[in-house]
Amino acid sequence: MEKFAKSFSSKPLAWPRGKQWALAGVVGSGNLEVLIERNSKTTDQMECIVESSIPGYKSSWLAALGDFAANYPSGGTKVTIHDQGADPIVVTFRLRQAYDHLIKP
Amino acid sequence: MSPVIQDSRRRNKAERMRRVGRLATGKFVSAKSVPELLKRIIEPGDILCLEGDNQKQADFLANQLATLGKKDLRDIHLVMSCITLPAHIELFKKGVIRQVDFCYAGPQGQAVAQLLADGKFPLGAIHTYNEIYSRYYVDLTPRVALIAAAQADRQGNLFLAANTEETPAIVEPTAFSDGIVFAQVNEIVDSIPRIDIPADQVDLIVEAPYPMHLTALFTRDPAAITDVQILMAMIALRGIYQEYEVQSLNHGVGFNTAAIELLLPTYGEQLGLKGKICKYWMVNPLPTMIPAIESGWVDGVFSVGGEVGMERYTAARSDIFFTGRDGSFHSNRAMGQLAGHYGVDMFIGATLQIDVNGNSSTVSKTRITGFGGAPNMGCQPMGRRHPTKAWLKAGAESNPGPGSIPGRKLVVQLAETFQSGRVPTFVEELDAQDPGIKKALHGVAPVMIYGDDVTHVVTEEGIANLAACRTIGERRAAIRGVAGYTPVGLKRSMRETRELRSRGIIRLPEDLGVSPSEVSRSLLAAQDIKGLVRWSGGLYDPPAQFVDW
Repeated sequence: MEKFAKSFSSKPLAWPRGKQWALAGVVGSGNLEVLIERNSKTTDQMECIVESSIPGYKSSWLAALGDFAANYPSGGTKVTIHDQGADPIVVTFRLRQAYDHLIKP
Repeated sequence: MSPVIQDSRRRNKAERMRRVGRLATGKFVSAKSVPELLKRIIEPGDILCLEGDNQKQADFLANQLATLGKKDLRDIHLVMSCITLPAHIELFKKGVIRQVDFCYAGPQGQAVAQLLADGKFPLGAIHTYNEIYSRYYVDLTPRVALIAAAQADRQGNLFLAANTEETPAIVEPTAFSDGIVFAQVNEIVDSIPRIDIPADQVDLIVEAPYPMHLTALFTRDPAAITDVQILMAMIALRGIYQEYEVQSLNHGVGFNTAAIELLLPTYGEQLGLKGKICKYWMVNPLPTMIPAIESGWVDGVFSVGGEVGMERYTAARSDIFFTGRDGSFHSNRAMGQLAGHYGVDMFIGATLQIDVNGNSSTVSKTRITGFGGAPNMGCQPMGRRHPTKAWLKAGAESNPGPGSIPGRKLVVQLAETFQSGRVPTFVEELDAQDPGIKKALHGVAPVMIYGDDVTHVVTEEGIANLAACRTIGERRAAIRGVAGYTPVGLKRSMRETRELRSRGIIRLPEDLGVSPSEVSRSLLAAQDIKGLVRWSGGLYDPPAQFVDW
C-alpha cells in the first residue's frame, strides 16, 4: 500500500450548474476509482490524494496527474484515487471519464 | 561431352514410386504402413514440405515422420510455414534436419528459441507466408510434400473444406516439378462436395486414424473485451475509419479489432457510417463479425482460412463469403494474402512491442515466433496503382515527392501502452534487436512491421499520424506523445507534443469527439459468445471451450 498527496497548478475549472462531484470506475481488483470534487479552498490547484495497493509507481502517478492538470482545466478540484492494482492504461482513462461526467451539462 | 540430363527429377520420382510397390493400392495406403512408406519416398538431401499453418496441420503425417530414426531420415531441408507441433520439434532434436526455412512458430516459439540457443536449429531464413510460397517456385521447390485434406474420393480428388488455406500453394509447385504429394485425409468417400485438388496432382493418400488438427485461433469472446479496448475502438472508428472513409480492410485478430467489429452496429450506426465504411474485408470468418454482417454492414469477406464453428453460418451467408456451390466455405491463404496486400485500403492490428521509430515485433529473447502473414498486409504495396479515396488521402498527407507513389495504404498499429503485468508496449529498442537473435537470423532483426510502413499508431491516449511526420525526429515525438507513462512516453516534451497536436499529428480522444464517459460495454453489439450465437440465428456453433451454458 502506498499513499501520497500532491497539488498541481491548473486553469480554473468552469463548473457546470449544480455539479459538485463526479465518479468513474470502481474499487475492485484490477480496477480503480476516481472521485473529482469541488474544492472551495482553491481555484487554481488540482489537489490529489492517491491510495494504491501496488507501491513503487509514485513517479508514474505524478507524471500522469501532472499531464492531466496541464491538459484539462482542473483548478478548484480535489481528486481522490483508490487504486486496486489497475493496469497503468486505466489511470488516465478513468480520470478523463470522471472529468467528462463532471463537465457535461 | 556427355549430354546434360534434363528430366532427372521425373525419372527419380518414378524410381521412388516403384519403391512404394505393394504398400499402395493405386494411390491409397494404410495408416500403419506410413512410416515404412515415408522411408521409401524420402531421400537424403530432399527438400521436404510439411503442411501446417497456424490453424490446420497435417499432424498424422508429421507424427509418423517423427517416429523415423536417423538412419531412415537424414540431411533433410525442411520447408514449412508453421512450426507448431511437438513432432516438428522432435525432428530437430533428432538432428535429421540440415536446414529449415519457415514463417512462424507460434506455440513452439520458446522451443525454437531454445533449439537456436543450443545450435540445433539450422535456420535458413524466417519468411512471410507469400514469401515462402513464392520460394516454393524458385529455390525451395519440395521433392516431397505431406499435406492434409478433409476428404478424398475413390479417384484421389481432394476436398479441403473450410480450411483450404495453403494446400494449393504447396501442391502446385510440388506436383508440377515431379515431386511427390502425399495427403492425409479425414475420410475416403464415394463423392466429395467439390474438387479443390485434382487427383492428377496427388500421388499418395492415407485415411488418418484421427481427423487433422484444427485450431479455433480467431475466436474472441466479447466477454473479455475491456473498457480501454472499447475506448480505443471509438478513437479508431472516428479518427481513422470515418476520417479516411475506409472501404476495404484487413483486421488483425486481437481483442482490439474484435471491439471495433462489435461497435459497428452500435456506435458506428450512431455516427451514420453504415454503407460508408467497412464494406469489403480480407479476414477469416471471425465470429465477432456476425453482428455487423447481420446488420447489413458487410458486402464481402475473403479469407485465408476457416474458423471452427462458422461452417453453417457461412454456408447460409454465401452472398458475403466465398463458398463452393454446395455452400461449403472456401479459403485460400496465398490469394488472401495477395488480396490483403494489393486490394485493401487498410491493415489494422495489435502488436506486443513497438520501438520509438515505429518498428514492431512479437519476438522476445526467449520466444522466436517469426512472421506469418502480418508483414504482407502491414506494409506499403509499392506495386499498387488503383486509387481509392483512403489511399489518396493518406498519400497526400505523406507529402509524396516527384519520384514516389501518390497513394498510401493505411497501416495502423493498435496498442495499449502497457501489456498485462505492467510490461510496457513502447520501448526504446525492440527485443528483436538483441545481438544474439540478430546473429542467429543471419543479421536480420525479426521486425514484424517497419516504422516506415506504419501510417498511424493508436493507443488509449490517442492517435499519432506517423505518415504526416516530416522528419524522423517528429515521428519519434509523435510516438512518445501517445506512449502514455511507459519509459518511452515519459521522455516526451510537452512543448513538442502540443505542437504536434496543433498540427493534427497527435489527436486526443476529445479532439475526435470521443467522450470517455460514453465508453461502456453496453456499446458492444454482443456481450458474449452466446450473444454471437443469438445474432447468427443459431447458425454459429462455437467450439466446446467457448461454451459455458
